[in-house]
Amino acid sequence: MLKGRYYWLVFALSIPAFIWLVPTIWMVSLSFQPNDLLARTTSSTALGLVPLPFTAANYAALFQYGQTPLWFLNSVIVSLGMTLGVLLVSTTAGYALARLDFPYKAPLTVLILVGLMVPEQAVFIPLYTMFADFGWHNSYHALMLPRMAVPIGVFLMMSFFKAIPSDIEEAARLEGVGWLQIFWYVMLPLARPAMMTLAILTFLYAWNDYLWPLVSAQQREFFTITLGLASIQSNFAQSEGLGRVMASGVIASLPVVLLFLIFQRYVVQAMTVGGSKG
Amino acid sequence: MNKQTKPLRHVLGQSQAAALLLLPFMSVYLLFLVYPFFRGVWISLHDWNLLAVAFNPDAKEFVGVSNYIKVMWGKNIIWSPLASPVLQLMGLGGAITSALLHRSGRLGRTTALAIGIGAIVFFILPGFHPGEGGRWYDRRFWPTVGNTLVFVGLTVPGVTLSALVLAVSLNRETRAMSVLRTLFFLSQVLSVTVVTLIWQIMFSPRQGLIANVTELFGGSPIVWLTDERFAMAAIVITTIWWSLGIAMILFLAGLQDISRDLYEAGALDHATGVRAFWYITLPNLKRTITLVIVLQIILHFQVFGQSHLMTNGGPNDTTQVLVRYIYQTGFRDSDLGRASAMAVFLFVIMGAFSVLQFVLGREED
Repeated sequence: MLKGRYYWLVFALSIPAFIWLVPTIWMVSLSFQPNDLLARTTSSTALGLVPLPFTAANYAALFQYGQTPLWFLNSVIVSLGMTLGVLLVSTTAGYALARLDFPYKAPLTVLILVGLMVPEQAVFIPLYTMFADFGWHNSYHALMLPRMAVPIGVFLMMSFFKAIPSDIEEAARLEGVGWLQIFWYVMLPLARPAMMTLAILTFLYAWNDYLWPLVSAQQREFFTITLGLASIQSNFAQSEGLGRVMASGVIASLPVVLLFLIFQRYVVQAMTVGGSKG
Repeated sequence: MNKQTKPLRHVLGQSQAAALLLLPFMSVYLLFLVYPFFRGVWISLHDWNLLAVAFNPDAKEFVGVSNYIKVMWGKNIIWSPLASPVLQLMGLGGAITSALLHRSGRLGRTTALAIGIGAIVFFILPGFHPGEGGRWYDRRFWPTVGNTLVFVGLTVPGVTLSALVLAVSLNRETRAMSVLRTLFFLSQVLSVTVVTLIWQIMFSPRQGLIANVTELFGGSPIVWLTDERFAMAAIVITTIWWSLGIAMILFLAGLQDISRDLYEAGALDHATGVRAFWYITLPNLKRTITLVIVLQIILHFQVFGQSHLMTNGGPNDTTQVLVRYIYQTGFRDSDLGRASAMAVFLFVIMGAFSVLQFVLGREED
């Protein structure tokens, strides 16, 4: 490949890449502009892509009034709780299905595999009535539990554990180590990369989930940031000021964007697995 | 470690250990996925008002398949072969093409069968229409399914083509390329509410960036989200911007599996650039392309947030999609029976595509 052609390609691709980035830059830029200016025009400097005149007042206001900090906290609690829960049930079940022998293993595996076919949208109504019967709505566990039943994590861990050579396990068995100890002391440390992938997949899903929180959390105190942002965007310009709504959007995106930039490899892997298996 | 664990080994056999390890997942799985699924089917067989049943659990009534009839059927519905000629001829043409392509060996059996069945459904379904004096019991259901199909039909090719072009161009291990890949992927991690927040204002005729650019060039701004001609286009553009990343990454992974030798051999036959793409990349990427398309169909058929937050299903129901209709029927009109019947319909379609995805995934091994 000629050097010159390569640089032309990079240059040619930079233009669509920049256009792709423009909406995001615009959100960040608007969040740093004063609201009274935005009420008149959104294109003061360079079509509004450069935040001049600059102000941080939108962020200050966000943390002084309104429920955005609370929603943010709810999202952190729900996302971390869901991630831990999914890791717990998926590693244990995945290990059992991959490495242990027990009666009815094949039909059980199929039963779990079939669950991959059921989309959230097909069960959210019965789940709603169930949780209503239990009196569980407007709580953290109501927001966390349904995702723990989705078998994608089990399959991710199962295929990982299946790929580990069996001589490690056999050596431990000869030493007289029990199955649970092998799982805890031998297998889990080996599974860290797969667990990381699953954790990121789950965290992203939890942070960005919209439909289930929308039906389950009706009290504003239990909104996640994703849901809260939806509730203030419908009347954004009038009530809160465009700059402040955009600041909420930036705050809502910050954790997932940071997660992506720091753990890019895992995030891409997680989203590939999540995308290709449901 | 040895001394502590030895007694336990005798306590727990392999099956018992397995049972213990499977217990947490199986309990949440049965309770929050398997049971709700069957309960959903059960609800769909009842006249079930959300509020009435919440106050009095006995306020539901078993009505059999009447909810399904109320949703999908009508009075005096007849079938004729050319009720909506465009769709039906497309279906018929698709069925014949897939059969011919299979005959000439250019299409695998599974793929040909899948396309064929899909095409025949396309031929049969649009043929139903109300006869004289007849009407659909639910005038909005089939148009809503149609809108969802239009959304899928525009989004999936849009995402697939642009992701494919990008993946092929960005498939080099240099720093600049990896930065560019990151930029294209970034929007994928945002939540649907952030994406719709950004694009709602992008499309705004008064404040929007698109309107500002149009005015710069002397054009008059389009009222994207409230104009029947542009609302669907607006949510399609938003969705392509949002979900290009996964498709691109899956294509990049597929490209990694194509051996360098093929390109070197091709270069000897003067197959470089576009010709190499056409004769080497595309044929070897066929399975990945099919998989990406099926995945996208599953993903985008379940569209909800874009329609719910950007256009409220409007204007005049042109962007009303299936999941939003289910949500509204259940939680605004409180008619859980009818909503569940539609959810079962959604499941059947999604299930068919999941099976297809599973079969295609299996073929790989």
